[in-house]
Amino acid sequence: MPNQNGTIYGLTILSPIINDEKATPSHDLQIRSYLASMPVGEDSPFALAPGTHLARLVVMDDVVFVGAPSIEEHLQSKYLVFESNCDGDLDGYLSGLAAAAPQDLDAIWSHCVGYPGAARPQAFVDYMKACQIETTFFFAAVNNKSVPETLRALQTQRAVADFIASHQGMEPARLQAEFVHFATRLRSAPLPKPGSPASPRPIKTGGRNE
Amino acid sequence: MSNINGKVYAMNAITPMKPWKTSVLKTIFFALEHIKPLQQDLINLSFIEFARWVSVPRNGFPYLGNGQAREELKYDYLLFFSNFNGTWNQYIDAFSAVLSKGLDLVWRWSEKFPGSVPVTLFKEYIARVQFDTDYYFTAYPHATANDLKSAHIVQASFDSLIERTGKCTPEEFGDAYLNFVIQVQAYLGDTGQAPIVF
Repeated sequence: MPNQNGTIYGLTILSPIINDEKATPSHDLQIRSYLASMPVGEDSPFALAPGTHLARLVVMDDVVFVGAPSIEEHLQSKYLVFESNCDGDLDGYLSGLAAAAPQDLDAIWSHCVGYPGAARPQAFVDYMKACQIETTFFFAAVNNKSVPETLRALQTQRAVADFIASHQGMEPARLQAEFVHFATRLRSAPLPKPGSPASPRPIKTGGRNE
Repeated sequence: MSNINGKVYAMNAITPMKPWKTSVLKTIFFALEHIKPLQQDLINLSFIEFARWVSVPRNGFPYLGNGQAREELKYDYLLFFSNFNGTWNQYIDAFSAVLSKGLDLVWRWSEKFPGSVPVTLFKEYIARVQFDTDYYFTAYPHATANDLKSAHIVQASFDSLIERTGKCTPEEFGDAYLNFVIQVQAYLGDTGQAPIVF
């Protein structure tokens, strides 16, 4: 099933944008304006809803003419492309999006043909599926870890590096006690929020290579 | 427009294909999916987090009624979406140098594809068929594909050490800890802010 690679789902959606010559600004431009102002960090709708690794929204204006002797042709509609690399089953993911960020979804997709609104979750899921295109080939570098598992692993990697650096040459009994304390603290630490930047590390100076 | 978020670049491309070629391409993708060694070059590139090709038949664009005009196309279209680390030039150069045979196999069915070698014509073609991203989200903007793989290796070793910690003497722990450090030392590279891209 090309949409799925391991536990990761490759969702591709093309939603036709309303083509109304009387709309000012045009619907595609209104989508672009809204997307330009939407936060990309931990306040992103894709961070608030569970399960998005990476996602993009793109207004596709037309197909591309690559030059003669190929034929020049054009789309009748512009399309909003939604590409998402997400966890779990599709219905659960789309329902989670509708529940977490209905205002953003409505502000974007209300410019698309036949959009029913996020307030009707089943209609929203059905609409998205009607616009779905099956992925032909899907590659994932890591295909068996969820978003929380990945955020946890990145947090652990960073904390372990600091722990090792600050516990070099320690005698085993004390090292063991401190490791147990460190592991307990790390496991109970809150998970970093999706989309949040890494906090900057102070630059250590005075090493022997300077 | 935001093709870049943190350390990831979102690339979109669309190329026209004569409809009879689509079934050939689908057969190639089927083989690529089921014969894993064929993916090795893609895995070895190591800076692609996710990538996909989507073939859209000329009559396969979503049609929802409600006044939407039906598409009347003569070509099928091949969409390509990639999430990679680094700059556009680095990516296309690496594609051309490492994956040329695989890429030619995929894109040779698209109209006017010049081949991925030499790189100059390949870059001109990609630039022509690429379109920009309007909104781009990543759950871990500070991490690259290699960071993700490394972090999961560290996490697995860390979990394994925790499991042993309560059952061993300090001396045994000292040995286990040393082994742990040896196991993870190559995977502790720092993540952080992305470099400025010129």
